[in-house]
Amino acid sequence: MNDKADKRVSRRDFLKGATVAGISLLGPGIPFITKRASAKDDVVKYGTMHPLTGPYSALGADQVRATQLAVEEWNAKGGILGRKIEWVHRDDQLNGAVALRRAKELVEEEKCDFIGGTLSGAISLAINEFACKNKVPYLAYCQSDMVLGSDQCKYGFAFMVLPYSAALATSKYAFEKLGKKWFSITADYRWGQSLLEGWIWQSQQMGGQFLGNVYAPLGATDFSTYFTKIMAAKPEVLVMNNLGADQTAAIKQAGELGLTKKMKIVCTKTAMATIKEVGPAYDENIMGGTTFYWGLRNKYASSRKFIDVYMKKFGQPLEQDGESGYVATNVLLMAMQKANTVTDKEKIIAAMEGIKYTLTKGPEYVRACDHQRVQSYLLIRGKGKKAKNWDLAEIVAEIPGDSIIMSCEDNAKKLPFANIKLPK
Amino acid sequence: MLSDVSWSVILMQLFFGLALGSIFVLLASGLSIIYGLLDVVNFAHGAFAMLGAYVVFLAVSLSGSFAIGIVSAIVIVAIIGMMVEFFLLKPLYGKDPLLPLLLTFGLSVAIPDLIKIAFGLIGEPVPYPEALSGATTIGPLILSNYRLFIIFFTLAILVSLWLFLKKSDLGMIIRAATRDSLMVQVLGTNTSRIWTTGFAIGIGLAALAGAISVPMMSATPDMGVEMTMVAFVVTVVGGLGSLGGAIVGGLLIGIIVAFTSLIAGEYSSVAMYFCMAVVLLIRPRGLFGEIGRE
Repeated sequence: MNDKADKRVSRRDFLKGATVAGISLLGPGIPFITKRASAKDDVVKYGTMHPLTGPYSALGADQVRATQLAVEEWNAKGGILGRKIEWVHRDDQLNGAVALRRAKELVEEEKCDFIGGTLSGAISLAINEFACKNKVPYLAYCQSDMVLGSDQCKYGFAFMVLPYSAALATSKYAFEKLGKKWFSITADYRWGQSLLEGWIWQSQQMGGQFLGNVYAPLGATDFSTYFTKIMAAKPEVLVMNNLGADQTAAIKQAGELGLTKKMKIVCTKTAMATIKEVGPAYDENIMGGTTFYWGLRNKYASSRKFIDVYMKKFGQPLEQDGESGYVATNVLLMAMQKANTVTDKEKIIAAMEGIKYTLTKGPEYVRACDHQRVQSYLLIRGKGKKAKNWDLAEIVAEIPGDSIIMSCEDNAKKLPFANIKLPK
Repeated sequence: MLSDVSWSVILMQLFFGLALGSIFVLLASGLSIIYGLLDVVNFAHGAFAMLGAYVVFLAVSLSGSFAIGIVSAIVIVAIIGMMVEFFLLKPLYGKDPLLPLLLTFGLSVAIPDLIKIAFGLIGEPVPYPEALSGATTIGPLILSNYRLFIIFFTLAILVSLWLFLKKSDLGMIIRAATRDSLMVQVLGTNTSRIWTTGFAIGIGLAALAGAISVPMMSATPDMGVEMTMVAFVVTVVGGLGSLGGAIVGGLLIGIIVAFTSLIAGEYSSVAMYFCMAVVLLIRPRGLFGEIGRE
């Protein structure tokens, strides 16, 4: 121990190390390797990507389980047109570059004929572009703008609502029932901005009063410093255009400052994981949007059947991001059955266009013109201290899918949202 | 944007910045003590803070008392820290300086994964303590009681730490060993015990930072990543191995983040790194860093 002077880490080493650690800490995780198989003629291969490490790993795990359930159900019935479905999945680490590598692996090495998954609008756009170039059908599980404008292509299908649809649904309810004066906290990236555009447009239509917006960097953990402005503006509705840990921290800190008693909080998209993480502070003053909540089992027989099977198998309900994966996988296989082929991708795509089905909610369809699943959007309200286990919220409204989606002509031109000027 | 900013808004922002900075100070002073004494660059610092948050969650669930939560977080995580130092770090002293660095980096990945296995991927909520909820109104200022607590509690911890290091025998030995451990050893002190103690103090401070943060954000397995980054930025700004630097650096970064949020919220995270870059360019050893340790 007499050589302490020699083992000193110099400041330079410290900084070098800090850089290396910074880079690696921001994108940790070990690639999720599933068993490798060569292409066989007697199987249909479906490959998916999910964020199994990083901030959305709980949601990623739901996507995996839901896809697994769908595949197992079909295989138990004898597969599709006499072939077994072989499914492989990878960890995309919630990282666009990693996701793109995984997509290539799935198509080139695993020889998957169809790919799906992802849990980020930005990543889904990248994978969609890859899928279009390589003519591989891609089923996105997440909210995505990929069916809008020039990003829309024959091979991409979106199974979660469009971001603006989530905003239109929640804002309509908010302006009708909660108040017209609103302020928003928006995560500063494409998805958050899409939601904000939806809110601003709806506000213009319904005579809302937009008091202001603050952008918070993705991954922000302290929101107190944003609240000074919000307290001064005194809105009736505080909109959260964020997700995950960001939303958890924002809600908890709004409660800390007593804001939840002075205004209603509306999260354009929320999650059961968020309600659990916020705990009792997610009370009756807080509402959130979601495409799926297990409480739908009391409304639809199809929901009941789906949720009960899922609960029995996995012991817990699933988030909307998993449900969209279950529907996507099922719709793909239903389209194969309808087209009576597992190899002719063009025919399968044609069969998916306009396909009608009832799987997890009420009757739904995939719109033929832009490949968007048209589905309802739910508004749920927290239960605060009364929340128990997975009984976390009550459904207060279900807004029909057709009322929150623009026409195909508008979507192709990204209207009317392309004309919205976002605040600085 | 600045036209509608009044004095009360500026004071509020200053208050939020100080509260935020206090947590940064706790994180960075722990990192600084460990580096100063052991020359170990602790990449698992945030992971230990996260452990502190989970101990609070467990203790509050069992006892219902936030105070018990904080005390158990410091004690339990400091003991874990001592064991890490004794069993894992000690064998690496005197070898390649990169080895402890790699070890702590490995821990920063392994500890969150163990927590994921034990508690699942979804985080655990800890409510604000009843006695500290609500806000105190002073004129136009609405000050959250919990943030007031954070500021004063951190102050109390820092004063005790300062008294301990300056006035107690053990503190004196720790300071001496930070300067020249060989000399301290020659004078007949068992430095290896000093190092274990120093590591435990540093880890205890990290656990405390995690513990007081948890009501504001809930305990999640990955919450430590951001905390490690902050601790490093503050340490680089304040100066390596300097407690005073950690304090000034932490408060400075907290206030910078607060005012950036007010003017251009989307840059509040970047502001911290920008500040670090400026300090590195102008004064590479940090605000309070010793000469010769650049």
